[in-house]
Amino acid sequence: MSDFFYLIAQQTINGVVMGCLYVMVALGLTLIYGVMNQINFAHADFVTLGGFAAYFFVKWMGGGYLLSILVAFLVGGCLGYLVNLMIFAPLRERGDELRPLIATIGVSVLLENGALIAFGPVPYQFDSPYDETIRLGKIFFTTQSLLVVIVASSSIAALYAFMKYTFIGKALRAIAQDRETAGLMGINQAFLIMLTIVIASAMAGMAGAMLGPILVLTPFAGASVIVKAFAIVIIGGFGNMAGTIIAGLLVGLIEAFTTQYLDSGVTDLVVFALLLIMLLVKPTGLIAEKKEENV
Amino acid sequence: MSEQLSILKKIPNWVYYLVTIGLIIALPILLGGSAYWRSILITISLNIMLAMSLNLILGYTGQLHLGHSAFYGVGAYATTLLIKKAGFSFWLAVATSSLLAGIIGVLLAFFATRLKGHYLAIASMAFAIILHQILLNWGSMTSGPLGIYGIAPPPPIALFGLEIKFNNQVNLFYLISFVALISYIVLNNILKSPIGDTLRAIREDEVSAASLGINAKLWKVFSFGVGAMIAGLAGSFYPSFVGTLVPDAFAVIESFSYLAMVVVGGMGTMIGPIIGAVVLTLLPELLRSIGDARLLVYGLSLTLVVLFMPGGILQAIQLIKTKLIK
Repeated sequence: MSDFFYLIAQQTINGVVMGCLYVMVALGLTLIYGVMNQINFAHADFVTLGGFAAYFFVKWMGGGYLLSILVAFLVGGCLGYLVNLMIFAPLRERGDELRPLIATIGVSVLLENGALIAFGPVPYQFDSPYDETIRLGKIFFTTQSLLVVIVASSSIAALYAFMKYTFIGKALRAIAQDRETAGLMGINQAFLIMLTIVIASAMAGMAGAMLGPILVLTPFAGASVIVKAFAIVIIGGFGNMAGTIIAGLLVGLIEAFTTQYLDSGVTDLVVFALLLIMLLVKPTGLIAEKKEENV
Repeated sequence: MSEQLSILKKIPNWVYYLVTIGLIIALPILLGGSAYWRSILITISLNIMLAMSLNLILGYTGQLHLGHSAFYGVGAYATTLLIKKAGFSFWLAVATSSLLAGIIGVLLAFFATRLKGHYLAIASMAFAIILHQILLNWGSMTSGPLGIYGIAPPPPIALFGLEIKFNNQVNLFYLISFVALISYIVLNNILKSPIGDTLRAIREDEVSAASLGINAKLWKVFSFGVGAMIAGLAGSFYPSFVGTLVPDAFAVIESFSYLAMVVVGGMGTMIGPIIGAVVLTLLPELLRSIGDARLLVYGLSLTLVVLFMPGGILQAIQLIKTKLIK
């Protein structure tokens, strides 16, 4: 087979690996938006702090890498719980659309710069024990990428099944469709919204733990991922899980191929140009939800 | 309670303007010869322009715009490049680049006419990221992340037969605060005219505004255009003040700091963003002994204000005032 084919296959694999991580982060955003029409800007910092939690768990406590992913999951969940407790829950009662968004921007700036002061700007080398290279013909990938794809796709599948088949998932979808009616049906909104944020944030933390060994770990690691996650949720259609998954993989692939054929510096340019075009042409995203009032 | 307040209201506008001009003239003299304080004064003037112009879009028109750093950056880079590469004179470059920033604001407004709330927030943020990336990647023009160095101060001007040079920071401060004052007067007059009511009507309820025959799209474009122009104007003076120009001065996080100034001072008021710009420029400087806490302060104050004092410092002042009068 020709080198061209291998190059395409190689970049497809790279794209899917990054895409999986993006989906894990973006799904959280879209879930939160689905149940309460809010964006959590601090989601980015859950990724970063999840990564650092995993790093220090391995480094200081001598824990295993796989266990550190679980630690990051828990740290992310706790952070999500706190943000809901301190920001979303009290502001929801005042019923303002933009205020919670502005507040979470504040939290995000605070966490990012707090992390900068605590950890410094120098990148941390987060070594995963899964660094063997697998070779298929001329295609290379590490066991870490394989791990990312397995963990990400199984957690995404679990989340999808949870939303689709469990009672709580059904209740969450009911809230997403019509909050007031769902409340009248005896669904405990406050609890379910809290649960959504905790699950979403835990996934973000977990993504951070897996991202660390692939990219470098800095206080800005999450910020670079979250802007793409924003692009993904909009391209996929806000609040739509399937659209988010497709768009996440798409952005991962676009990134891999622009790095190969254009320049790694312009990947953000391409992704955000796509986002703006999408917003102009079809603001409801690839798969439109039935809510149109935001567009 | 209103006796004292009504006395304040009876003072004509020109008295306030005179006091402000007096304050502008006195400040560099009062603060002595410290170059450090002079550069802080200039930074405050620039931040006031940025906060006021963002407030027009955010506070008065109700558009959640997170890309203000882009307009600032356009003003700064366009001025520098027009002088360096196209041989423009300083003042022509300033005028051209603030106009250019205004045109780019109008372009972004096309998104604002189609999108609302969170969608606009992300679109405007994406806009600022794209501009930052262009500045980083267009190496032949902007020198990329290395930046442009050795930018000259504005050329001297002749006033009443006197030559005023801007290579000293006191004169530069007078110049920039004069521009800021003019921007304030322009914005204040716009917002006191029926246009101000139109913008507020769009902010409160776009559908009802439309039912009154208000062309919301047109006025959003207007608001973005004017806001971007003033931000671009501030940007025009930035390079000659700092002397260097790097893309990271216009990263998206800077938009968040202007947002913090507007919200912390008091969104949707003329004086609030000015208070916010002064407080949030001074506070990190006073905390410098702890370390570079600028963004930490912005993040914390933004969150606390939204949670506990949605009207910002202005609301706090008014609360204290009514309590004292009682």
